Amino acid sequence: MLRFPVIALAVRWIFISVLSLPIIAGVVGVMLPAFGYFPALGQDTFSLSVFAELWQVEGIGRMAWLSFFTGVTATGLAALLAIALLATFYQHSGLHTLQRLLSPLLVLPHAAAAIALLFILAPSGWAARIGAMITGDVLTPQWALPYDPHGVAVILALALKELPFIFLMALSVLTQPQLQTRLHKHIKCAQAMGYATVTAFIKVALPIIYPHLRLPVLAVLAYATANVEIPLLLGPNNPPTLAVVVLQWFNHVDLSMRFQASAAAVLQLLVTLAALASWWLAEQIVASWAKRMRLSGQRNQLSSVIQVFAWTGALLFVITGVLMLTSLVVWSVATYWTFPALLPEGVTLLHWQTALTALTQPLITTLVLGIAVSLVAVTVALLALEAEAGFMSKRTARWQQWDKIAVNITLYLPLLVPGVAFLFGLVWFQQRWLAGSVITHVFVSHLIYVLPYVFISLAVAYRRLDPRYMKVASGLSKSPWQVFWQVKLPMLFGPVLIAMALGMAISFSQYLPTLLSGGGRITTVTTEAVAVAAGSSQRLSAVYVLVQVMLPLSGFALAWYLPGRFFNPAARAKRRQKRIAANDTGT
Amino acid sequence: MTRSKVAGWLLIVAGMLGGMPATAVTLQFHAWGGSAQVNDYLQWVAGQVEARHGITLKHVKLADTSDAVARVLAEKAAGNHDQGAVDLIWINGENFAAMQRNNLLLKNWVSDLPNFKLTNPAQNPAMTTDFGLPTRGQEAPWGKAALVFYYNQRYLSAPPQNVQALLSFAHTNPGRFTYPLPNDYLGISFLKYVLLALNADNPDLLYAPVNADSFAQVTRPLWAYLDKLHPVMWRQGDYMVRQASHLQQLMGSGELLLAFSFTAAEIPGAVTRYDLPETVRTYAMQEGSLANVHFVGISYNTAHPDAARQVVNFLLSPEAQARKQQLAVWGDETVLDLSLLPKAARQRFVSQSSHPAALPAGAINRLLPEPHSSWTDALREAWFERYGARW
Repeated sequence: MLRFPVIALAVRWIFISVLSLPIIAGVVGVMLPAFGYFPALGQDTFSLSVFAELWQVEGIGRMAWLSFFTGVTATGLAALLAIALLATFYQHSGLHTLQRLLSPLLVLPHAAAAIALLFILAPSGWAARIGAMITGDVLTPQWALPYDPHGVAVILALALKELPFIFLMALSVLTQPQLQTRLHKHIKCAQAMGYATVTAFIKVALPIIYPHLRLPVLAVLAYATANVEIPLLLGPNNPPTLAVVVLQWFNHVDLSMRFQASAAAVLQLLVTLAALASWWLAEQIVASWAKRMRLSGQRNQLSSVIQVFAWTGALLFVITGVLMLTSLVVWSVATYWTFPALLPEGVTLLHWQTALTALTQPLITTLVLGIAVSLVAVTVALLALEAEAGFMSKRTARWQQWDKIAVNITLYLPLLVPGVAFLFGLVWFQQRWLAGSVITHVFVSHLIYVLPYVFISLAVAYRRLDPRYMKVASGLSKSPWQVFWQVKLPMLFGPVLIAMALGMAISFSQYLPTLLSGGGRITTVTTEAVAVAAGSSQRLSAVYVLVQVMLPLSGFALAWYLPGRFFNPAARAKRRQKRIAANDTGT
Repeated sequence: MTRSKVAGWLLIVAGMLGGMPATAVTLQFHAWGGSAQVNDYLQWVAGQVEARHGITLKHVKLADTSDAVARVLAEKAAGNHDQGAVDLIWINGENFAAMQRNNLLLKNWVSDLPNFKLTNPAQNPAMTTDFGLPTRGQEAPWGKAALVFYYNQRYLSAPPQNVQALLSFAHTNPGRFTYPLPNDYLGISFLKYVLLALNADNPDLLYAPVNADSFAQVTRPLWAYLDKLHPVMWRQGDYMVRQASHLQQLMGSGELLLAFSFTAAEIPGAVTRYDLPETVRTYAMQEGSLANVHFVGISYNTAHPDAARQVVNFLLSPEAQARKQQLAVWGDETVLDLSLLPKAARQRFVSQSSHPAALPAGAINRLLPEPHSSWTDALREAWFERYGARW
């Protein structure tokens, strides 16, 4: 029989290969046709002619620029606002309120955020209705949003989704026990020297936490430059962003368009790289400026600017969030709603009935897929972490370092390589060499996206476990498996459930991987929601988004509720006490 | 008459008599699945053919009919000549032209269907012509559609009645009209309507295969028209909707005052579901409405040609056609010539209480048949060439 540590080590290698192999295969699968090699379509020589043709396509430069511009601007905006919020609220009682307000938005699928924003930005939304109340207009205004040629609506939606991610990532860095005390001391010191709290945070704390934030921010940036669903729903189409056009060309009836699509996917990869490089360059410039700024000795530098920015941002964010949610709820039950009335004429459950009938099958698919993917991801992540704790600690320092680098690279690979650049190639590989049902293909492509998040989320809790428990258990001659199963897992019950919920939320939100790997044959709530968003019924679309919102939230609610009930020694002791007390009074 | 035809006849007759079910076969009906009403109707059809003929009919809901065409083509290329995955297919226009060109359809079976006679094909050439192409018995007519317009009566009392009036409407109400991109079915139909209307004096060229000279001559007024229309369209014609359904959504939200549809019945349906305002009214242009017939074909490599014919014959029965025409069901106009039906059967087609947003009876003044199918691609390509590759 295989020993548990060996299995755990094997899983760690499987973990690395599950993440890296499909992406490498996918990128190769896109590169080949881009360089003119696609035997299925009768092309088996390599050339640059496809790129030459791509260059001739009208507006290709503009498409690439739009992808770059919207991605970089949105990430810049979100990162600056996240930092400003932290600086302003770091030692403020509002920090937890803010955390609670932003967390739900983290699990909101990108598509849902985009559709929800559509409801506010549209000339028939509440903002326009309130405006018309003042001006007395009876017709909808004709403003530029959404679908504006510069992608402002896209930037807003991306920033809306990215801000919570960056903010909460930074918060988790800030609350790391060792770092927290160190930062606290630094800031206290700076304050004692007369620095304003905000300035102290920017000058002392930020240089320490930013290196921890860099990778998540770059992942966000890469994602933003290559996202498909947001520009598809909110962006221009004369021309659209590059990612959208890649999708359209790959799905074109004319199969020869695949060459051009592949070349465009490679261009997308370059655009994303260019965005990452620009970010790095901007970091250097800001760093050298910040160094001078730090040494200037000014005690209140930027303090008021940052505070105004943070408060305005937070306020706008909260207003937008509340408006989005109420708009969705009201539209989802609205009967006739003439412009510029502030409320619909009546309330109906018709749209919910229609949607729930239509959504039954996609809902089941979504749940089964999400649960299966998360279960596998949590198992793999746990065993990979177990291998790190058990087997790796006995290896040389150099081996450990290599292992760490391999894991870190593979973790961020799916987040840094744009989906449009590898998913088409992956689908081609899957169809060409891997027989099997469509659902397996979708499963694999979801797993690629779910695993990193599940791993990151579990790793924090896993590495925080007090090693003395394990030492005691081992000392009582328990096998590694028994230590894992009977000591560690019950202690990790809460974090495991959170990781499950996170994994499901990530799986629920996948649009492109589901669409491509499933070839349109697997429909989930998210793919249906995007399809319905451009459909004839705004009301139905609102219901779909609300279902999208409720799915991950109910997962997290369970993850928060269950640990209090199970594997909770404190609760068990309390219950027993209660029982004893009850018995006592009974006798 | 070949032996298989005789067998087919016998099966059909047996089926009509309600006798024993032919064989326990399952047919895959590949049909666009984007409309809940159509899907529900096909579900009813499936129940009927199951009960009558013991045929299990599965509706394969297509997002794009060309997917099914590509599938049959791939099967033919792979040498699968008698076990095709596509048994029945709902087609017309370009997709029919492509299937006919590649010999992907079963031939000469339509005139043998007992119910086909009820369409009065001798007097009604539209039943055997698909976008200018003779159908050659490869597809049976199923329904009729015409391009109708609808407007919001609350803001607009007299909607435009012809293309020129439409242009002046757009000029006096900038930003309140648009049309979908021409890779959408409704978008290209709008272009064809304008083209036919602007060439009303001499439409013959449009019913012949396209060539460079005829194209240049016929489209000249079209481009002049669109050049004037685009700047006064919704969002100055810079962003144009990708799908017909989005057009209806914009009518619903009040951003547009005038729009159009190929399915007149969906307008009252949408009003009932609150997706369009109560003040919406449907009408047809005075100068005529672009119209076409949609058909059902049988793939050449179906394993069950006889069962497939039985299903098509049922689709053409007065009962199935009358149900399809009901507004509450689908609202798709029948292809049967009602004068050929017995009185009782004709009674089924009498319309029930009409909806204020529905197209009034007899509103369609004139039918403008679709141009020859070769015009579609030429028109679309030229449009994108001229107005930019929008995706």
